[in-house]
Amino acid sequence: MGDKKTVRPSGMSRRQFLRTAGIVVGATAAAPLLSACGPLAGGRATGPVKIGLLLPYSDIYAVLGESITAAMEMYFEEVGNEAGGRTIELIKEDTEIKPDVAQQKARKLVEQDEVDLVAGVVSSGVLLALRDYFDANKKLLICANAGANPISRDRKTPYIWRTSFSNWQPNWPVGKWAAENVGKRAFISVPDYAAGENTITSFAHSFVNAGGEIIGVQRTPFPNMGDPAPFMAEIADAEPDLVYAFYSGGAAVTFVKAYADFGLAGNIPLLSSGFMVEEDVLPAQGEAALGVRSGLHWALLLDNPVNQAFTAAYKERTGRDANVFAVQGYDTARVIVEMLNRVEGDTTDVDKMVEVLPDIQFDSPRGPFRFDAKSQNPSQHIYLREVREVDGVLHNVIIEDLGEIADPGDNSKDLEV
Amino acid sequence: METLIIQLLNGLVFSMLLFTMAAGLSLIFGQMDVINLAHGSFYLLGGYIGLTMVRRLGSFWLALVVAPLVVGALGLALEYFFLRRLYGRHRHLDQVLFTFGLALIAADLIRWNWGAYVESVPPPELLSGQIPVFTVQFPVYRLSLIAVGVTLALGLGLLLERTRIGAIIRAGVADAEMVSALGIDIHKVFAGVFALGVALAALAGVLGAPVLNLYPGLDFEILILTLVVVVVGGLGTLRGAFFGSLLIGMADTFGKAFLPEFALFLIFAVMAVVLLLRPSGLFGLEGT
Repeated sequence: MGDKKTVRPSGMSRRQFLRTAGIVVGATAAAPLLSACGPLAGGRATGPVKIGLLLPYSDIYAVLGESITAAMEMYFEEVGNEAGGRTIELIKEDTEIKPDVAQQKARKLVEQDEVDLVAGVVSSGVLLALRDYFDANKKLLICANAGANPISRDRKTPYIWRTSFSNWQPNWPVGKWAAENVGKRAFISVPDYAAGENTITSFAHSFVNAGGEIIGVQRTPFPNMGDPAPFMAEIADAEPDLVYAFYSGGAAVTFVKAYADFGLAGNIPLLSSGFMVEEDVLPAQGEAALGVRSGLHWALLLDNPVNQAFTAAYKERTGRDANVFAVQGYDTARVIVEMLNRVEGDTTDVDKMVEVLPDIQFDSPRGPFRFDAKSQNPSQHIYLREVREVDGVLHNVIIEDLGEIADPGDNSKDLEV
Repeated sequence: METLIIQLLNGLVFSMLLFTMAAGLSLIFGQMDVINLAHGSFYLLGGYIGLTMVRRLGSFWLALVVAPLVVGALGLALEYFFLRRLYGRHRHLDQVLFTFGLALIAADLIRWNWGAYVESVPPPELLSGQIPVFTVQFPVYRLSLIAVGVTLALGLGLLLERTRIGAIIRAGVADAEMVSALGIDIHKVFAGVFALGVALAALAGVLGAPVLNLYPGLDFEILILTLVVVVVGGLGTLRGAFFGSLLIGMADTFGKAFLPEFALFLIFAVMAVVLLLRPSGLFGLEGT
């Protein structure tokens, strides 16, 4: 070590260094700001239907955005890229996981590209940040993932409909199941943002009502938790009967692998909403994920003909197993096509489009798809799944159907911890 | 108390991982006066090459050797064709623009080749498993990172302080013209230092992969972390990078353990305080 003899007469000062580094970092951060401006315009009646996609194509949720896009394109191709007599055109924008970036991209799509409607949105924080813009501008947003509970409740607007889930849905039924089947003292670990908070209150409500007790809650840095070791030590120290967690994308791999590295897997049962061990992250988690039980509205091995056809086609197209995000993308595209057919391609009147949405029903890879009109969100079965080895490969095997569940539409079935 | 000791151990592990990450950046800045904003990209590239080696040949140890060699060779080429034109006292902005542009291109190329899925690298068989430390089963691989960090620090220190090559390197940054006049090819020296610096980044990429995994975007996370370490420690001094790593590693670990809501911001707060008290960093040279 030791370099006390090093002399740098020609060296730059720290101030120069910070200034030059600052210019570059600042310039890249400002780039998206320079894009959007132009008159606000409604949808049109002729020409291609322009659909704006607001999805993360970078950062820890990049694969979620890619999966949704691939499956949407797959469905549009199945119907010949046409709906309601008009061709379909996609305009993709990268929201990262940043609410402010997403807001700029939304303005760019609506005001500059003059899209007829917008679809996508992965992060709950991003969805909440976009809500007022779509509400005020009466622009239709079909949400393909972000489950922020308030969007089905006190922050509901006629112009945002979800084809995915509310965060409450995959968590609430698992709380009761866990208290009855696994243990009574739970420790919760979630990322420190909207979806994490929703996870805590949804799980806690049914878990506590079934006689369980929440002995600790851990909120980790979002989007990147960095070194997970301190959190593992905290869990080991708490000695709970079970850990309930929600992580998705990159953070899911970090958390589940560290849980096994620190010898917690196998000693303290790990349960979660299904995103944490979905097919997009399972290969990277490997054996570390074995035995993790989770609730979700779909599983790769779900036995129905639409799912079999979908999973096979998706694998052929992308070379990877399908995941729940792809299913939601596929259903989002289908909902859009069904809606455009019903309004005969006329996107000038947003209220007409919204009016036909509650009636749309079809067989989805997840089973029957239908909206719950009150929560503007699907009413769907939640399956309890366990990661097991199937023919030498890890998959989520369904061990119980927890029933068809719709979001309550208010906070009556949530518990603040 | 037990928790405190375990978190101290976690902090030490993360500090030493940080040092292996930051050593190359510090070396290139200290000995060449070049700010390499593509440092995180060399880290990530090293990690992914390591991943490919582990998948194809099944050997983590081989990955530890090959990834730094490949990335080091790439560094040599980049230095020869581009960076060499950008040396000099008033060219820091050029260097920053060049290396940052390189980082953006590298991010896309890496994603193009390895995809956006998170990838993980298992630790070598020899170092998998755990040792019980109080209530925690501590992973052996993480403990071994402490030894790696200390060895690397001592090795680099000896290289720079106790060898003829080290003397030439140090002389080169002090007065390149005089060194040239003594019949030493200063270009070769700088090329060698740059290659060594990026090879160290690649080595860190392989070492860090079992702990932090590999995914697009990690390159800029690593860049920011290592910049913080190097600025806190004092720009360009190896001793500074070492103690900067310790300070930031401990701040990160204890922040997560006791103030998780502020964990993201805490290391920057530590940086601000250090710079207020010691504007050149912990071991920086005054008045340059």
